[in-house]
Amino acid sequence: METDPLYETVSAHTADPPSEPVSAWDPVNQPMIRHWCDAMGDELPIYTDVAAARAAGHPDVVAPPASLQAWTMPGLRMRGAEDGSTRAQATLVEAGYLAVVATDCQQTYHRYLTVGDHLYATTRLDSVSPRKKTALGEGYFLTSITEYRDQHGEVVGEMLFRTLWFKPARAQDTGALA
Amino acid sequence: MSETALPKVGETLPELVLPITPTRIVAGAIASRDYQDVHHDVPAAREKGSPDIFMNILTTNGLVGRFVTDWAGAEARILTIAIRLGVPNYPGDTMTLTGAVAKVGEDGTVEVAIRGANQLGNHVTGTVTLKGIGK
Repeated sequence: METDPLYETVSAHTADPPSEPVSAWDPVNQPMIRHWCDAMGDELPIYTDVAAARAAGHPDVVAPPASLQAWTMPGLRMRGAEDGSTRAQATLVEAGYLAVVATDCQQTYHRYLTVGDHLYATTRLDSVSPRKKTALGEGYFLTSITEYRDQHGEVVGEMLFRTLWFKPARAQDTGALA
Repeated sequence: MSETALPKVGETLPELVLPITPTRIVAGAIASRDYQDVHHDVPAAREKGSPDIFMNILTTNGLVGRFVTDWAGAEARILTIAIRLGVPNYPGDTMTLTGAVAKVGEDGTVEVAIRGANQLGNHVTGTVTLKGIGK
């Protein structure tokens, strides 16, 4: 069987411990919620109207569940914590697999986040695919698992996130994977 | 919470037709704090083999959440969103989100199968589960 030293190196990072908890910049807050809803065109009132949120059984305005990941994103200067997936990514980029697309996102919400909740995220590399030929070019799929906790240490959400790191095929190609 | 009936398997959600503009792509990327250059920088996207910038997955996820709660209402709680991306959402295209109830549990959990298609094919397929739909 053909060996792939790069695959061996990258997949070894599945044994790395999870990242240190990455703190959200700010607690869940109305300006970021409003910004999100504006961009998504989401007009559900529980995200911006306290009375509507309370009428629906929430203590205060809540964040759209799908915004879970946004609160702890690394930002323009890529502030964050190292873990097996960031190390795997760095290794792939160095080897020329420098283009990335996300392919899967599976989120579970244990409760809605309300204004004032402070999120902490820990991420680990769950799995690495062998090198695959895709419409975009040859590459590796990395699957990470992130756990989101609140200020009380309770798990409020989980995410499986899969990305493809590839060597771009011809730039003219269209209609490939997203 | 309303005591009215749960949706039935096969019930379809109102379609959501979204023109995909550069502005929508960039607005979604910034609101989700995703600064990957392929979501806002055309030359950088081309260098990485893409003909144009394309929508980030966080925006797709946000649009899927919106699409389902537009139908389910303010009292519903989303429990899970699981999506898989296919072809990209490039500027100039239109994505049409469609969905249908796939399963209704005895505990009132409702599973909705969703699809967002553009002229290249399926941009997103997935499943959203909710409870507390007081329709």
